[in-house]
Amino acid sequence: MRRTRITVDYELCGDGVGVDPRACGRCLRTCEPAVFLLHQTIGALEEDPFDPTRWRVTPFWPSLCDRCRQCVSVCPRGAIEVRPKVRQQPRPAVSADA
Amino acid sequence: MCDYCMEHGAGGKWYLNATHYSEEIVEKYNLREFLLEQYASFEQMAVRKVGGFSPVGMDYTFRMPIIGRVVKMLAERMLHSQKPPVNPFRPDGHIGQVVPLEDAEAILMHCAAEPIIEKNCMCRYMSRGVKEACCINFGVMSEIIDKLPRFVPEKEKYHLTRDEAVARFREHNAKGYIGTIWFGPFPYINNLCSCETPECAGIRPRVDFGIKSIYKAEYLLGLNETACHGCGACVAMCSFGALRMEAALGRPVIDADRCYGCGVCRHACSTGALFLVPRDRHPALAGKY
Repeated sequence: MRRTRITVDYELCGDGVGVDPRACGRCLRTCEPAVFLLHQTIGALEEDPFDPTRWRVTPFWPSLCDRCRQCVSVCPRGAIEVRPKVRQQPRPAVSADA
Repeated sequence: MCDYCMEHGAGGKWYLNATHYSEEIVEKYNLREFLLEQYASFEQMAVRKVGGFSPVGMDYTFRMPIIGRVVKMLAERMLHSQKPPVNPFRPDGHIGQVVPLEDAEAILMHCAAEPIIEKNCMCRYMSRGVKEACCINFGVMSEIIDKLPRFVPEKEKYHLTRDEAVARFREHNAKGYIGTIWFGPFPYINNLCSCETPECAGIRPRVDFGIKSIYKAEYLLGLNETACHGCGACVAMCSFGALRMEAALGRPVIDADRCYGCGVCRHACSTGALFLVPRDRHPALAGKY
């Protein structure tokens, strides 16, 4: 199965720091298959569900991503990264002289 | 007609049974508080853990050969639940069906409980960050929306009469939005949506992953070949890829297996060549919702 790893850096976008994703929303609108989801953070529920700073964007349906990287180029803060998800490299064999 | 309507339709279609819209159900299951809690944080319901598993990235699991089938079955069991609603943070019993314009009119004119309002679609807000007022809500949901400002449309008038609601629904339908009616939660019906795919959180699991999160309509599309001029305007209206223009025949061909029976394509037809037939009449697709 071809897997895509999409990451959003919440230091740069959402969670009450950087940009409010509800005001920006460029990634949401540019993504053809609508991979992203805009929502309140889980922590927001316990504290104050109406706190407007506690919204974030989550790549919810990564399997539908076309890897067109439109979201990467459109993000004003450079918070999104799209990479193929690669299997972990197997451990190097123990060399003969060790 | 499937078992669902036999059980809950009082001799007709389940969504035309007015008892599902009644105040008694609200009182019985205490839905006033339940729905307010659910809708106060509706957008984050999708990312909450279910049974200890995070749904984010669950789509890869759906695609696995055997595990995927089991997970999809569990998801369907949750959505199709007919137990009394207990957890407002899970979409238990949140199941809907595609409805064409005629049935939606019947719902709005005869079944829907007053007051009727229009609210911002939460699916479009979640997936696109845009606010578009195209969900029609009835009964207790109307009171709840008044308390949640982000769902309230910006225009000053969002409380609708029955006739206004029908007019608004017809407007959305003509744009190509798919009419859907929802239990939320079973057995209370409070939402008549005008959906788009892939934005709709209810249609997407069905179209992309084959989870029965929404049932197809009680109808299928039919074509009057002699009336059709072969302009192909209907093809662009179909959200499900059920229509294809066949140059050799000079008319569109219908993929009945893909047809959801929403009837939206009829708005594009200038000759009235497209019509809906009851799904039961189709020998292979009767009962396949």
